[in-house]
Amino acid sequence: MDTIVGIINYIVFFAITAGTYGILSLGLNIQWGYTGLFNIGIAGFYAVGAYTAALVSGPPPGAWDGRIFGGFELPFLVGLLAAAVVCGVVALLVGIPTLRLRADYLAIATIGIAETIRLVLKNESWLTNGVWGLQQIPSPFYDPIHRGVARFLGGHPDLSPWVHDLIFKSYNWFYLLLVLGILFILYLIMQRLVRSPWGRAVKAIREDEDAAAMSGKNTFSFKIQALVLGAMIMGIGGSLYAHYARFISPASFKPLYGTFLVWVMLVLGGSGNNKGAILGSFVVWGIWAGTDFLTGYFPFSATQAASLRIIIIAILLEVILLCRPQGLLQREKRPPTILKKKA
Amino acid sequence: MQILSRIPQLLIYGVISGSILSLGGIGVSLTYSILGFANFAHGDFMALGAYIALGLFTLTAGLGIPSTPLGPLSFGFGFILSFILAMGLTALTVVLIDRFLFKRLRHTSSIILMMSSIGVALGLRNVLQFFWGPQPHYYIEKIQLAIVIPGVGVRIKPDQVFIIIAAIVSVGLVHYFLQHTKMGKAMRATADNMALARVTGINTERVILWTWVIGATLAATAGILAGIENKFITPELGWQMLLSIFASVVLGGLGNPYGAILGGMIIGLSEEVSTAFISTGYKPAVAFIIMIIMLLIKPTGLLGKRR
Amino acid sequence: MSLLTGDGIHSGYGDMEVLHDVSFRIEEKEIISIIGPNGAGKSTLLKTIFGLLKPTKGSVTFKGNSITGLAPDRIVRLGMAYVPQVENVFPSLTVHENLEMGAFILTDDFSARLEDVYELFPLLKKRRRQRVGKMSGGERQMVAMGRALMLDPELLLLDEPSAALAPKLAEMIFERITAINETSVSILIVEQNAKESLKLADRGYVLASGQNRFEDTGENLLANEEIGQLYLGG
Repeated sequence: MDTIVGIINYIVFFAITAGTYGILSLGLNIQWGYTGLFNIGIAGFYAVGAYTAALVSGPPPGAWDGRIFGGFELPFLVGLLAAAVVCGVVALLVGIPTLRLRADYLAIATIGIAETIRLVLKNESWLTNGVWGLQQIPSPFYDPIHRGVARFLGGHPDLSPWVHDLIFKSYNWFYLLLVLGILFILYLIMQRLVRSPWGRAVKAIREDEDAAAMSGKNTFSFKIQALVLGAMIMGIGGSLYAHYARFISPASFKPLYGTFLVWVMLVLGGSGNNKGAILGSFVVWGIWAGTDFLTGYFPFSATQAASLRIIIIAILLEVILLCRPQGLLQREKRPPTILKKKA
Repeated sequence: MQILSRIPQLLIYGVISGSILSLGGIGVSLTYSILGFANFAHGDFMALGAYIALGLFTLTAGLGIPSTPLGPLSFGFGFILSFILAMGLTALTVVLIDRFLFKRLRHTSSIILMMSSIGVALGLRNVLQFFWGPQPHYYIEKIQLAIVIPGVGVRIKPDQVFIIIAAIVSVGLVHYFLQHTKMGKAMRATADNMALARVTGINTERVILWTWVIGATLAATAGILAGIENKFITPELGWQMLLSIFASVVLGGLGNPYGAILGGMIIGLSEEVSTAFISTGYKPAVAFIIMIIMLLIKPTGLLGKRR
Repeated sequence: MSLLTGDGIHSGYGDMEVLHDVSFRIEEKEIISIIGPNGAGKSTLLKTIFGLLKPTKGSVTFKGNSITGLAPDRIVRLGMAYVPQVENVFPSLTVHENLEMGAFILTDDFSARLEDVYELFPLLKKRRRQRVGKMSGGERQMVAMGRALMLDPELLLLDEPSAALAPKLAEMIFERITAINETSVSILIVEQNAKESLKLADRGYVLASGQNRFEDTGENLLANEEIGQLYLGG
């Protein structure tokens, strides 16, 4: 029974993380899957979202903090919205100089931006507490739920141990529902969006930007919107991460690993397909977690195991690109319209 | 005023750093001009070369090949031998990677190739980390005494002179190759127009092979020189330099190997001199800012084509 | 046996078929001109012959051997050369280097051949160290043709050689084409400037909407009023 409880708790933890990655994948899907923007700076937006949420909802600078600013202890939702807004603003500032560039240049530029964001987070201790990070980020409804759980368990002392354990971890269930709920809402919004005229416009830009420009669309404006929207979603993901992990530092957002994993998730799941984005995040996170178990059975050191897991994901990416570049779920075809003429 | 007095010394560091960045950048530019994509694995090719050299050096030392330091340098014949062999083995590895991976993706877009190269980058880096671990490995243990150049008052170590000379020699060889050999001209022709090169009868697959060989050899050289300069190497070596290398290449003109040299020197000098004015924590951002400015004013770079 | 024949060629780009059942032949030492309106498929035909496009149906035969579907670098070794309409030189290489690239597959010394080409284009010899990217359109066209001639081909395919050239330069190019033909090189030339190209052609084909319309000697086609009205506007 113990192990089953352990497994269930692990699955909950797994699903929370996979769900958060799913949100990131949805964001990338808008930028890359639908609009064709090659953004390698995901970790940057993720970090900005997490830090914003932490600074808005977290405690004020403590005695040992390097900070002189921040920590407003505002409610979770405020933090979430703030994360989205700040990420959107950052994306806007980033996009204006870079979105006119070709894909290769855009890729290089977005890496540079993510790096710069990481450097700022590391160096500007007055805001971010530098490498020591932000602690004690409150999880939403943590106290009420824990108090309720404690009262319930106190009133029922005769429960079997494993039921006790399950109920004790109820907060995680709540958070899982929160994450999945937000994921689902975002998914619905994305689905509406891609079927709208806006969605058709950005898809046209991905297909052939010159043709889209010639038909009168302001491609630059659409690309900015896609970048900003995707970034806002990534910011929401960041806020969910911060509230769950309760501690963040620049090291939590190692630029290429988070970015790389999300890309593999989207490519495997199917770029241009929202269901694919979510599916890909669960599958790849499953592989990532699975390799954690597997390498545990071999006499590898901790760093060796970590390296091996990344090698496996890298090989996975290459295999997908070689054998099934469209991913598991293909790009959604346009819904048929009666008025569609053959070219 | 005290800041100004540090500048000459920083310029020396900048020349050394710039030499290494240039060598790395030439490979990126050549790959871009002929294969059409920005190779994100190039930094890790540099790390690969550095580690192969390290491994070979341990091997040669074990085999009894003399490693007594040559003259004022920190390293000896055994190291030089490992250096040269490492260049070859790195080139071989890269050619194999192309043969089994990039070649099969040649017909796809440059974005797919870039993505694939990111996978190669992470894979290579972690293979190195798997075998050698994340901790630094030392190339040179002892501290070398610097020579003071009279009059100017700057200090430079014999090893650093070696680095600069090695870079100049490498660049000279590349220049000779590109301008005076048939294959070199074919590479320039293919970079201009691959379809026309094929129509002319040029064997573009062979051109591509040579592109990887030269790029990888230069990358290995750059990686090993970086190891000599920093005295130690870690698997992250390449990635740390990649942004600066890309900045150099963009600055000089993506696709133009001579631009990579110019860009490398400018970025190297800027990065080092900037430490006199801003905190070293932001040194990598200097390259990035210069690159962004270049992209806004003239995306084709200083020596770039009007394309 | 004709030098080059095309039989019932169907060819195009992806799903779009541009050529429908096109046939032609070229004899040795002939100049053949293919004319027709824009979009008729003239360039597509040249590309199909030279292996840049694969025909979906039909065949191309060169010197008695089928070359259908062969890659360009194989065809160039068989004695055929192709000058594209645009981007037909290496701009960052010098004139001399461009010509040198033309002789890439030769392992022997090509300096004799180089002299022959310089004889045909004396201006190129004078400017041989100049970067081609800096040259004018007419000069570049000469470099392009010279490059194609370095392998001493028996058949030369020219895609709209006078396009984008001022009338005087076009005249000079056409005159050079005649000179090249006099060195026993057969020439297949696709042209918008129908009148000029028919003047120097032995025979001509009129292509419209991807199909053969007319075939006759150059003189007859020029004299034909119907063709004159429909196609010789340019």
